[in-house]
Amino acid sequence: MSKFSDIQIDAGIVRRAAKGDAKAHEIIYRAFSAPVYSVGLRFTRVPAHAEDLLQETFIEVMRSIAKFRGEAPLGSWIRRIAVSKALMFLRSAWHSRGQSLDDDWAEVTPGAAASHGVSDRPDEALDLDAALANLPEVSRAVVWLHDVEGFTHKEIAGLMGRTESFSKSQLSRAYQRLRPMLQTKVGASDAGLENELLGHC
Amino acid sequence: MTDNDQQDDEMDCGLSVAERDILFRELNALPDTMPPRVVWQRISEQAKAEGLIGGSRQLERMKWMAGAAIAATVAMLALNLSSGPFGNSPVDPGDGEFSNTPAVMETSGPRDLNALKVESQILERNLRQLPAQPSVMKVSTATTIQDLEDRIAAIDYRLNDRTIRLDPRQEEIYWRERVRLMNSLVRLRYAQAQRISF
Repeated sequence: MSKFSDIQIDAGIVRRAAKGDAKAHEIIYRAFSAPVYSVGLRFTRVPAHAEDLLQETFIEVMRSIAKFRGEAPLGSWIRRIAVSKALMFLRSAWHSRGQSLDDDWAEVTPGAAASHGVSDRPDEALDLDAALANLPEVSRAVVWLHDVEGFTHKEIAGLMGRTESFSKSQLSRAYQRLRPMLQTKVGASDAGLENELLGHC
Repeated sequence: MTDNDQQDDEMDCGLSVAERDILFRELNALPDTMPPRVVWQRISEQAKAEGLIGGSRQLERMKWMAGAAIAATVAMLALNLSSGPFGNSPVDPGDGEFSNTPAVMETSGPRDLNALKVESQILERNLRQLPAQPSVMKVSTATTIQDLEDRIAAIDYRLNDRTIRLDPRQEEIYWRERVRLMNSLVRLRYAQAQRISF
């Protein structure tokens, strides 16, 4: 699970924030700004966009915290707002480029695709962050939401306004892209003791 | 591993157990990045402009100033020194009305393209009716206003560029974003005007 769920905020702070207490909001911001900013960076790869998303997320938190009933952890609630804002941004970015969600993979040329996630330099091959950066935006978002934030395909589909199949397909293609890099890592640590496939394409 | 159901895994094809373990472990170990410190200043500024937060010290000061204003008003009335109406609006009276409530529009709910354009025009008009910006203002306020104006200008550029063909859905997204940004700008400028008039 992501770091959102590890952060605990005292209920009294939340109550004060709901009344518009600036100090309480600042405490919440200090606690969650790094994971929210990181989500923005992972999705957009552009610090300026991540800053905008951070700002929009916390303004939304301030607008809505009075309605937060505390049934779920505050972190989960903030995470959902952050993810929703990030996906809205991606959706607008896709439109601004005149592309649809389905075209995302078409951006990568076959030659470039062959090298994605793998590099001639071993130090780069070990860099998961760089491999993620080379994924199309949508797939990167799906990998992050599914494998780090713990969303199900159904939830991802709902957030993206797409079908579950779309989410599964994006994840599957991302895994295929990341696999050479992961194989390198498995080979380095263990000569593939358990190389049993989890599923079938 | 998360709580995702087993059905999800069926499509997560192509990875071995070991590969999947490494992926999960490393994804979850990626460090968070701290945002620049200036972001909180921007958030705080916008939140104050929209009346979302009010620090206790600020609240006390506002109460004190409100009390002082009432006391001054009463004193002036008693001395019959006033020669005009109190609580003048900061707007040039000849320039239109400046209401006591933020001249913003509700942005939620489905609206068609024409409605968004009309809304945008109303917000433009409301913005023009606000008093001119003060020559001296906080850096963070100036930055936020500049940022909003830049983003609106960028949208206008796209909407007016005839070489870019936008389909109705794309056009709607741009207009919706324009209305949202205009709303923020009007709120911010309104709050600024309120502070000056006070």
